[in-house]
Amino acid sequence: MSASVETGAPPVVRIDGLTVRYGAFHALRDVTVSLPAGRISGLIGPNGAGKTTLLNAISGFTPIAEGRVHVGDRDITALGVRRRALAGVVRGFQTVRLLERESVWDNVLIGTERFAQPSALSQFFALPAQWRAHRRATAAAAEVLDLLGLRRHAHRRVDELPFASRRLVEVARVLVSSPSVILLDEPAAGLDQEGRQELAAVLTRVHDNHPSTMVVVEHDVDLVKTLCSYVIALDSGAFLCDGTPAKVFGDRQVQLAYFGRAAGVDA
Amino acid sequence: MTSAILRRPRGEAGNATGERKQGPRRLLTRVAVFAVIAAVPPLLFDDYWVFMSAQVLAFAIATLGLDVLYGRTGQMSLAHASFMGVGAYTTYLVSSLGYGLAVQLAAVAVVSLIAALVVAVPTLRLSGLRLALVTLAFGELLAWVVRNTTDLTGGTQGASVDPLIIGQLDSSEPLHAYLIALVPAAIATALAAHLGRTQLGRRMLAVRDTELAAESVGVAVSRTKITAFLISAVYAGVAGWLYAAITGFISPPDFDLFASVYLFVAVVIGGAGTVVGAWLGAAYVVLVPELFTLAGQPNLYPIVGGALLAIVALLVPDGIVGLGRGAWRRARRVRDAQEGAT
Ligand SMILES: Nc1ncnc2c1ncn2[C@@H]1O[C@H](COP(=O)(O)OP(=O)(O)OP(=O)(O)O)[C@@H](O)[C@H]1O
Ligand SMILES: [Mg+2]
Repeated sequence: MSASVETGAPPVVRIDGLTVRYGAFHALRDVTVSLPAGRISGLIGPNGAGKTTLLNAISGFTPIAEGRVHVGDRDITALGVRRRALAGVVRGFQTVRLLERESVWDNVLIGTERFAQPSALSQFFALPAQWRAHRRATAAAAEVLDLLGLRRHAHRRVDELPFASRRLVEVARVLVSSPSVILLDEPAAGLDQEGRQELAAVLTRVHDNHPSTMVVVEHDVDLVKTLCSYVIALDSGAFLCDGTPAKVFGDRQVQLAYFGRAAGVDA
Repeated sequence: MTSAILRRPRGEAGNATGERKQGPRRLLTRVAVFAVIAAVPPLLFDDYWVFMSAQVLAFAIATLGLDVLYGRTGQMSLAHASFMGVGAYTTYLVSSLGYGLAVQLAAVAVVSLIAALVVAVPTLRLSGLRLALVTLAFGELLAWVVRNTTDLTGGTQGASVDPLIIGQLDSSEPLHAYLIALVPAAIATALAAHLGRTQLGRRMLAVRDTELAAESVGVAVSRTKITAFLISAVYAGVAGWLYAAITGFISPPDFDLFASVYLFVAVVIGGAGTVVGAWLGAAYVVLVPELFTLAGQPNLYPIVGGALLAIVALLVPDGIVGLGRGAWRRARRVRDAQEGAT
């Protein structure tokens, strides 16, 4: 992933006093939390805790009632989805969203939108700027397809692929432009044990090659422990606790909320 | 990662960058196929069918344009024939002032772009049937303007368009008209085919399939929709320009709602989202009604058209092209299975 858009160290993402309401229902209530710069954070919590809502708020997909979102020094609260993406905040979806009738290749290439794009006229009439952009984009896509083991499927239509591969295409579309803030919503859902381990290895490698501030929503405790150096726990729209995996998974409140019991009680 | 997650064997092999091979040989093959097919009408057909073939070329530009808008971007338009009409009437007005090729084309392009903006910008928030209904209103508006400007446009009586003269070629000669139409049709086809390999083309597909994912990577959804409208309108305008030059006579029914519906049906039957499908659609929309007329049953065309659309919509959503591709995939799967068994 050579052609990165952002330069410099990955930013910290600060969420201050964030409240998201759907009608009278609070999906998130006064959440203040930071995603530490340049690390892979795990976002955990039971179903309906507000994990996806938090990613939506950071990426601009949901209107927020109160609070602010900062990426580094920049207040992005007022920016739309597209402006945030161009500023380096890119998310994957819990529900895989692909161009169903198109190839894996095109599904990944669409993610290169953040690279410098020649004008529509240059593209349409295949002017030299288009060829340079094309080479840049295809090189980045080839690299990420290799990383995720999708290369041999590059020209298959995504609607022909098994679910697990489709999930990886969703991840590849996010990774291809090397965003500085990466938000992944249950990227390992639907993968088997081996696949989950491999995905964790790939994400670690991506992160080593191109440092970013990454958040991964994930239910599997072991996977979070392998992948993440930081964990944030939510429950029923409220912030529960954050810190190292050992600290968070050892937390009594987290165990109660997340496993419905405190550790050792069922012995 | 391959071992655990990707159980399906055998993908198509890519080249060094992982991209599908698109070497000079592939391109040459396509150009050769196009050239061979294009050589058939002048060599084998009589004047009348050369004339019909020239119309197929004109309509192919129109269906290619509609395919950019509907097939790729998912924007449903029932005004595409009206956009042809914009091109045709602009041609009529400009040519009756005595201007030739260059001015005609420039005027057609500019007026088409303006017309596209008039339709595309107010309808940005609409899609599907509601968008189609608004575009339909644009078609009615154009028909109304033509009806009420008899002095300028000939009104409901129609208007005779001066033949287009380019060097030795005179568009009132069927063979010449065919040769004149061949060049823009080839260019329109090459550009439409290339569009699929650009980010602009991918943005369109993304807007069609999932606006959320499109936005999430930074695609400007509204701008993409407008661009698709602009491209499709210029294609339609150029098609109308050729249509006026080839037939030498235009009148409002050529560009009415029914004409727009037939174009739409043609793209769907041919196979939305594909260049070959657009060509099949153009052949369908020109030749099928003619065949019914020759058989003495001109009224059957709308009925057969409706029935075909229903069949395609229900059974082969990807059109004739999709039918072919499906057969190809099944054949490959059978071959894979056989190789796997041995
Ligand atoms: N658009 C919406 N309208 C109304 N309620 C919503 C909307 N989106 C989310 N919610 C509600 O907000 C709460 C939090 O949802 P969210 O999707 O953020 O949970 P989650 O932690 O991602 O859960 P899961 O593990 O199931 O994905 C849920 O109760 C959900 O029903
Ligand atoms: Mg969720």
